[in-house]
Amino acid sequence: MFDFLNIFTINVISSSIRLATPIILAALGAAMCNKAGVLNLAIDGKMLIGAFTAIVATYFYRNYTSIGIAHPVLATYLGVFTAMIVGGAFGFFFAWMHIKYKVHLVILAIAINMLALEVTVYLMRVLFKQAGTWSHPSIVQLPSLDAAWISSIPLIGRFLTGYNFIVYFSWVIAIALTIMMYKTRFGRYIQAVGENIEAAEAAGISVKRVQYFALVFSGMLAGMAGAFLSVGHLTLFTRDMSSGRGWIGNAAALFGFNSAQGSFLAALFFGFADGIALRLQNVTNLPPYIVQLMPNILTIVILAIVSYRGKIRELKRTQQ
Amino acid sequence: MKQPSKTMVLAALVPLCALIFGVVITSFFIMLTGVSPFSAFRVLISGAFGTSGKVWPLLITLGQATPLILTGLAAMYSFRVGIFCIAQEGQYVFGAIVAAWLGVALSLPPWLHILVVMAASMIAGGIYGLIPAFLKVKLGVNEIISSIMLNSIAVLVLEYMVAFPLRADQGQKAQSAVLSRDIWLPQFVQGSRWGISFIIAISLAVFAYFHIWKTPKGYELRMVGQAKRFARYGGIKADPTILKTLFLSGMIAGLAGSMEILGNYHRIMTGFSSGLGFDGLSVALLGQSHPFGVVIVAILLSGIRQGAQLGLQISLQVPRELGGVLIAMVILFIAAENVYRPLLDKLYDIINNRLTLIKRKHNVKEVDHV
Amino acid sequence: MEHAVTFNAISKYFASTQVQANRDVSFSIRRGEIHAICGENGAGKSTLMNILFGITKPDSGTIEVNGKEQDFQAPYDAIEAGIGMVHQHFKVVNSFTVTKNILLGIERGKLGFIDSKAERTFVEQLSEKYSLPINPDQIAGTLPVGLLQRVEILKMLARDVSILILDEPTAVLTPQEVTPFLATLRELAKAGQTILFISHKLQEVLDVADRVTVMKKGKVVGTKETKETSLRELATMMVGREVVFTVEKSESKPKNVVLSVQNLSVVNPLGVKVLSNVSFSIRSGEIYGLAGVSGNGQEALVSAISGLDKAFEGQILLDGNNVTSFDVLKRKELGMSHVPEDRINVGLNLQTSIRENAIMGFQRKKPFKKRVFLDPMVCVEHTEQIIENYQVAGAHANGEVGKLSGGNMQKIVLGRELASHPRLLIVNQPTRGLDVGSIEFVHRMLIKQRDEGVAILLVSVELEEIMSLSDRIGVLCAGKLQGELAGQDMNENNIGILMVGGTLDEAAK
Repeated sequence: MFDFLNIFTINVISSSIRLATPIILAALGAAMCNKAGVLNLAIDGKMLIGAFTAIVATYFYRNYTSIGIAHPVLATYLGVFTAMIVGGAFGFFFAWMHIKYKVHLVILAIAINMLALEVTVYLMRVLFKQAGTWSHPSIVQLPSLDAAWISSIPLIGRFLTGYNFIVYFSWVIAIALTIMMYKTRFGRYIQAVGENIEAAEAAGISVKRVQYFALVFSGMLAGMAGAFLSVGHLTLFTRDMSSGRGWIGNAAALFGFNSAQGSFLAALFFGFADGIALRLQNVTNLPPYIVQLMPNILTIVILAIVSYRGKIRELKRTQQ
Repeated sequence: MKQPSKTMVLAALVPLCALIFGVVITSFFIMLTGVSPFSAFRVLISGAFGTSGKVWPLLITLGQATPLILTGLAAMYSFRVGIFCIAQEGQYVFGAIVAAWLGVALSLPPWLHILVVMAASMIAGGIYGLIPAFLKVKLGVNEIISSIMLNSIAVLVLEYMVAFPLRADQGQKAQSAVLSRDIWLPQFVQGSRWGISFIIAISLAVFAYFHIWKTPKGYELRMVGQAKRFARYGGIKADPTILKTLFLSGMIAGLAGSMEILGNYHRIMTGFSSGLGFDGLSVALLGQSHPFGVVIVAILLSGIRQGAQLGLQISLQVPRELGGVLIAMVILFIAAENVYRPLLDKLYDIINNRLTLIKRKHNVKEVDHV
Repeated sequence: MEHAVTFNAISKYFASTQVQANRDVSFSIRRGEIHAICGENGAGKSTLMNILFGITKPDSGTIEVNGKEQDFQAPYDAIEAGIGMVHQHFKVVNSFTVTKNILLGIERGKLGFIDSKAERTFVEQLSEKYSLPINPDQIAGTLPVGLLQRVEILKMLARDVSILILDEPTAVLTPQEVTPFLATLRELAKAGQTILFISHKLQEVLDVADRVTVMKKGKVVGTKETKETSLRELATMMVGREVVFTVEKSESKPKNVVLSVQNLSVVNPLGVKVLSNVSFSIRSGEIYGLAGVSGNGQEALVSAISGLDKAFEGQILLDGNNVTSFDVLKRKELGMSHVPEDRINVGLNLQTSIRENAIMGFQRKKPFKKRVFLDPMVCVEHTEQIIENYQVAGAHANGEVGKLSGGNMQKIVLGRELASHPRLLIVNQPTRGLDVGSIEFVHRMLIKQRDEGVAILLVSVELEEIMSLSDRIGVLCAGKLQGELAGQDMNENNIGILMVGGTLDEAAK
């Protein structure tokens, strides 16, 4: 019995961490955008584009470039990298439209999300003649990275090893962002821009630069998250592959109060909710949706509390 | 004949330009398949609005447009009162869940049954519209974010409902029991999805027009949406107006859900809705938040999707997603109007000046003749 | 070079509000002095300071800083030239500590990283140097307003400015915080700063400034040494009459009391008492002019009487009915109408037609409402009537209200408010920004209404308007009704005394 629980827990934790990774990347990007005062609702779309780009680029590198033919894994890494660049490009386009031409953020996001969904399936059908799913045997998934010395760490060692580089990358980014927000000037600028644009402008900070950075960076993270989905574990692309993970990332960012650590933990929490829900389905008859509902409801509650406190503060201060 | 003002001309030109740009870019995508854009668009239009065959595509388009008109009207009401609530998806889903549930759970005389189901769906949708409104008005919560959360919650509840409490067959598919035939909303042409619900939708659009522009309550909600301080100064209570309007908005979206269940699907299943709420949003925005604009855009949007499915995919083997690509492109270009509007402005001025010069020469010539 | 700043013929016109904000402004500020700039709302003080700080560019004229001519493109340039500005609405990031706020944009540290210790030390030293005690680690959002202001000042000092502009610095302070603040200003001047501050609190100006420049309607009225002038002189300069405007009017024949305000007190959310125990009454057929330098409680008074603000102590009676707890709509029904101070953002909806503006308040009443619908014919006729009666040239019911001139806009507002045949009409700054013709029209209309029995509460900072129209005058000063004048007593002298806090017995001397 104990053994069973043991294996059960290890499986749940490992798979949860994997499930959480794209959410973590999306959440970190969303958190940064929220902090900078630009609501990025196109993360889901960019994730989808990233997923498609990764697998198609990998296919191309693998079969049409000498490097790719010789080193299959390298082709996959290149594909991931390409997805990141493309995601960043879309982020740049988004930022350019909004900052230079004052295009409405939400409508722009709706357009991009719709476009991502339709164009990826369209291209999949036109280029590869597949309607639902596309895959190719030549594509190799990202390898799992194992390190003996890590896995020998008592208790948690088992859970820190055996993932592909995107997972580790997400942890690194989370730490890097935390450091950036608290210990660097740019981190302060981001917070200032998001909280009080006039104060930032008066202090001579380039609001445009901050917002461009936030949107491009979150685009890159979203692209990478998509790459994780398509070539990280399995190697295929499906219609609507992101299945709302971008939106969950947005929710996780809010749930984590838009801080880097908070978003990371919240995304992990959401990932665990998913992981547990899936396992429970196999083990018991408990509907997984109840577990999945909790994070969403909690997010709204947190939103309400934060907004209420903000409103009280506003009333006290600016009533001239 | 009054000369149309510059703003009016530009207001009409922008959607036109967006359409042209969208068509041009989509054509590039079409060419990837080797099909000529001309035949593609011809087939798209006939697949959307054609009047041939056993079931006219035009009628199917109208049938598909019905829920879109309603969610579009719902979003429109929200925008008119100054709130960017985008929870139509959740309201629609909840309305559908209630309809599927009560449709099976109750046994009443058919006409009463239908009315009760529709009323219950409307109330469910209305409540779901009150939540983001209340959060915004009393607590200052950003309604866009709360709407998105609520949409996710609604979809999750849907999946739960069809998988467990409402589940009809223990087989593969998660779906609810089929409603008994006598409470099915009649379709005018069998298999077209075009039926009573379309009439109801159009009536609601007409109602919305009169309500918003011809009644005192409509006046009040418009003033709250356009100039809140002016409204308050004039004695209009902003908060109750917002709450009432968003309740109404939710009711309309909830009604849409129930009508799709009663008139179209007759049961609810996993994956129901998939984006109708968001489409309603786009329809309201593209339709300039006006009921008649909403109806036109809803029909056009459904037409494009329908034409893509029937025409492009079936006749030309061009994937139907192209329809979605075209729509997304048009939305993008309309949203980005600030990019090319200055150019249109200059163009208008140049052409206007040329025309006035020509007119003047003409008048001078005439005087000479005399 | 004696002068820190010299303005040479600065002019600025704002097309969006059709206002000439600055007209040929020329004066100088000596190095190391505390120089106050006084004037009513709309006098052009803020615009001038915004030009000095690089937020706006002048249409014509030049600025010299320390003898050198300057052309600022942005606040950054002004700061480089040694000019710092503390705005009326603080630009503070609430979640940051004091230190982070002060050093925002000029953080200390290497390679983009922040050296928190160095920053803290810097702030401590700065605070000591200028005797502005502050806790570097406190979160800005928890600071009281007085300390927040200190942070704003330190922000500028941290950037090594030698000329400090303060925009209405005492407007947000509690009376207890004002005295230490004025002491701070003196300390800063002693430490070598040149201080420029905008204020209309004349007593404070006399207390702390070395010289004061008075502006009115965009022009400089004069610059005086504070030692050589008095409250009365300043007040007169600020609101003194320019054009001799008399409206023909007959003796008023007031009847019953229409409005009765009893013991009205208002405390604003910041804890400042903006109205103290104000009581007065207005009869039918009389114009009661409420005079006073702006910022002495007029806004709170009007909000309380009109029903826009319910948070006050005291009673308001309309025709004997206690309307204290009634909302705006109910008060309108009982015969109260209000022409607001801000006609663009409050009095009108610029996004819609004249007709839709004209029916505000009438939409639920018969005959505007016919069964369920609005009767368009009634609405249009009502609007056209207003347009005709109030001589709104070239307008028609469905025209855009945003295209009208200021005077015509005000006529629409006035017409609408009078169309309900009110018992009490409140008009707040009714002729601000209007051309001479419109001013005359409005004045004549108000007299006409008075003669027909309407009780009118006229709130205005224009002394000549008050004096030419009012049958009785009340003067507000620091939230108190300093005194009431009638008949022969209604002269500039007496009003001036009351406006700055004096009493009528002084006037008798």
